[in-house]
Amino acid sequence: MLKGFGNILVKELKELIRDPKILLGMIIVPLIMFPVLGAVMNFSMQSAQEQAQKATILVMNNDRGSYSQVFIATLNSSMRVFISNYTDPQDVVNQDELSKYNTTQLIEIPPDFSANMTQHMSGNENITALVKIYSVFSSAGVFEGIGSSMIDVFIGGFNRQLAPNIVYEEKSSIIKGQIKEGVDPGQLSALMISQAIAMPITIMILLTYSMQIAATSVAMEKEEKTLETLLTLPVDRFSILMGKLSGSIVVAGVAAIAYMIGFNYYMGSFTSTFQAGTSLDLVSLGLVPSLFGYLFLGISLFVALLSALAMAVILSAFAEDVRSAQSLVSYIYPFLFIPSFILMYVDINALPLAVKVALYAIPYSHPIIASRAVTMGDYWTAVWGIVYVSIFTLVIMYVASRLFATEKVLTAKLKFRGLRKRGKKAVQDLE
Amino acid sequence: MDNAIGITNLTKDFGAIRALDSLNLSVESGEIFGLIGPNGAGKTTALRIISALLLPTSGSVEVFGLDVVKKPAEVRKIISYLPEEAGAYRNLSGWEYLHFMAKFKTDSKDEIQRIVNDAAEISGLGERLKDKAKTYSKGMKRRLLVARALMTKPKLAILDEPGSGLDVLHAYHVREIIKKYVKDYGVTVLLSSHNMLEVEHLCGRVALLNKGKTVAEGKPRELKEKFASANLEEVFAKVVGLA
Repeated sequence: MLKGFGNILVKELKELIRDPKILLGMIIVPLIMFPVLGAVMNFSMQSAQEQAQKATILVMNNDRGSYSQVFIATLNSSMRVFISNYTDPQDVVNQDELSKYNTTQLIEIPPDFSANMTQHMSGNENITALVKIYSVFSSAGVFEGIGSSMIDVFIGGFNRQLAPNIVYEEKSSIIKGQIKEGVDPGQLSALMISQAIAMPITIMILLTYSMQIAATSVAMEKEEKTLETLLTLPVDRFSILMGKLSGSIVVAGVAAIAYMIGFNYYMGSFTSTFQAGTSLDLVSLGLVPSLFGYLFLGISLFVALLSALAMAVILSAFAEDVRSAQSLVSYIYPFLFIPSFILMYVDINALPLAVKVALYAIPYSHPIIASRAVTMGDYWTAVWGIVYVSIFTLVIMYVASRLFATEKVLTAKLKFRGLRKRGKKAVQDLE
Repeated sequence: MDNAIGITNLTKDFGAIRALDSLNLSVESGEIFGLIGPNGAGKTTALRIISALLLPTSGSVEVFGLDVVKKPAEVRKIISYLPEEAGAYRNLSGWEYLHFMAKFKTDSKDEIQRIVNDAAEISGLGERLKDKAKTYSKGMKRRLLVARALMTKPKLAILDEPGSGLDVLHAYHVREIIKKYVKDYGVTVLLSSHNMLEVEHLCGRVALLNKGKTVAEGKPRELKEKFASANLEEVFAKVVGLA
């Protein structure tokens, strides 16, 4: 059925791999770009931590002494503080107190806080005062760890005012409504950063480059005047289309691996800020997708990639050369970039309904949504996304195959308002 | 002789512009037939429709009895089309390009090798076939493409300006190759050209096209006699009323 497919695929790979533009743009640049980006992000993150002020925090004060009041008053000078009436942190979580005050941070001041402070101030420096910090973890974005980092900064400042190391903190995370004692949210966030930003960025870049390759592949045939010959050969037009799409997928896959290598350096530079010497097991915390999760994620990415490629092929069929094909494809980029950036920083469920619907309607959002969903064990979101994107892809593939089966692949041109003269010239060229 | 191409009342519109206007043409098997005419006469459009690249607006075109609209896949099996402004894949060598094209004709490795060897001889590119096509001059590229069009010995070779970009010697070489393929392998050739000298030397019959219509048709010698002209250029000028 697909006679000639293999021949076209091999030719496509040779043409694409030997193109210095692709080698430079897709392999060399990412290997340099990501370490640089990592360093910049690391700097930005530190600045963000230091500058973050007046954040909201919930305090559960189980101490009745005066030092806890001093601690809260000092805290109040740099953050908005609310006092909880509960005495058990799990009750605070169960009663949804944190959402009520629109915060993700809870500080518990234990009953012996003032007593230990007094002892320390009296000269018994071995005795220190403990505060317990609980941070909600929702895999919601890049700066999720900032809240607990701000408390670190505050306690450091508090200690400098009174006595070195007088107060120390014990951090825990609240994951899916459960308190995980001893799990540092900052460290967890650093580990989970791959979920929060690696996926959106990688998907965005993979889709962008794949579209560029597919569009270039068709437009180059037009620019180099090889398409006409190709279309008169005894080969099924669908084979030509599939050969082009598959060639683009293979090259994009290689590019994705190069990106992941570059990304590895980036991640190394980013997480080093948070290393505290303890190890975290994401599997036991339930923060790693299961085998099914990875499967759904892979399918979601594949169908989104296929729809992006088919869309690029359709658009490039309307272009006369590579440059105009790339310009046409760039109109799709906002639909790739905007969901990626939004979902990098914000949880989709926290968005207004209209924005949420718009994001769900864009097929390229779904691999990112799926990556978040499967991590938190929500497979249905991933499955519905796959179904939606598959239907979208089938429609686009049908349009692309129709375009290749008719003379439109040679004659189609986008006519913009005011460019009618150019359209007429194109017709004259055809004659 | 069999009818290689039969064109009946062929009309092609591009929007408001009529490129072909009730064109009628018949090409016999084993002959070299030339389409001549000025830019915009409809030559390339006619060749593209015969090659099953474009669809007619009305009328019919048959290639060896096969309707190009109803059976385009069958038509593509027996034709070879050389566009006027064709190119080769920049990053493939001449050899790789010819192999790529030959594989559409047959799965047999021996047959592919034979086809490619024939093409190498037609092109006369020798060792340069090992180089990538992007290093070729315009003339070298054209020789490669002419070789590609003829190497499979198609039943019908449709050549749009085959001598375009070739110097005198290579143009002569290509004309001789075309004659050889018609004589030795029974290939039918339909070509278009601006070069009246080329057409006179090469074609058994010609059709003069103007504004999408055939304005004169016949053997070059007969046309020259009929219009009392020294060459086809003069014939054309007289037919369209310029002389």
